[in-house]
Amino acid sequence: MFENLNYALVQLVHNFGAAAVVGFPVLGWYISGQASPVLRKFAWIVGLSWAVQAMSGAGFGVVSYYYYQVFPDLHGVAFTALLIKILCAAGGVYIAAKYLRQSAAWTPKQRRNAWRLLSLLGVTALAAAAFLRWYA
Amino acid sequence: MRKFHALAASLAFTCSIPLALAAEGTVAISSPTEGAKFSPKTDIELVYDISLGDKGDHTHLYIDEKEILTLRNLKGSQSLGTLAAGKHEICVKVVNKAHTPIGPQKCVNVSVEA
Repeated sequence: MFENLNYALVQLVHNFGAAAVVGFPVLGWYISGQASPVLRKFAWIVGLSWAVQAMSGAGFGVVSYYYYQVFPDLHGVAFTALLIKILCAAGGVYIAAKYLRQSAAWTPKQRRNAWRLLSLLGVTALAAAAFLRWYA
Repeated sequence: MRKFHALAASLAFTCSIPLALAAEGTVAISSPTEGAKFSPKTDIELVYDISLGDKGDHTHLYIDEKEILTLRNLKGSQSLGTLAAGKHEICVKVVNKAHTPIGPQKCVNVSVEA
């Protein structure tokens, strides 16, 4: 009973994290032409959401290991999809952190590119999740 | 005292239900059989019968510890094609929704000889 609950709670966090790492960058990209202080808040949310994605993703492995002493068994396409998701998470945290530290000195075009790249990472990770789900 | 016994009995019965209903999964491979020998040109056919149990969601098929595919049916056959000369281990494992092997599995060792 608690096993399913634990998986479900990890999935819950992962799903909302997925919504955040796609939704906020797309919105940020949309309004990136304006010099809005809300974009800094978005960058915080996106960076933290990517960190949450990495931790909740690892959470699936932790729950599996706790109950069965083995990690999920992923090979081929599914494993590649997982690697892509991990790289997206690393990239997302990096770009969000860079945005928070340096964007004040960036041109509007550079800021727009940052949001475009964050959007691309979010969409790529979401697409990879579909392959991870059905090729495993 | 009678009420206490009745309560204890009903509690014991209620607590035992999940244990009684917690079905373990099973995997049976009827072909190939353990130790079977094939030529490199023979298409090997896997014939299996699986029960996922309560916690199983689907199964993974492995050849030499490498996952080949997911068996979508619980009973039937699956062509493995030809295998290279040498010894091979063919395994079917029940996994949960997180793709974690949860215990029930069956492996057979076969050899392909030229």
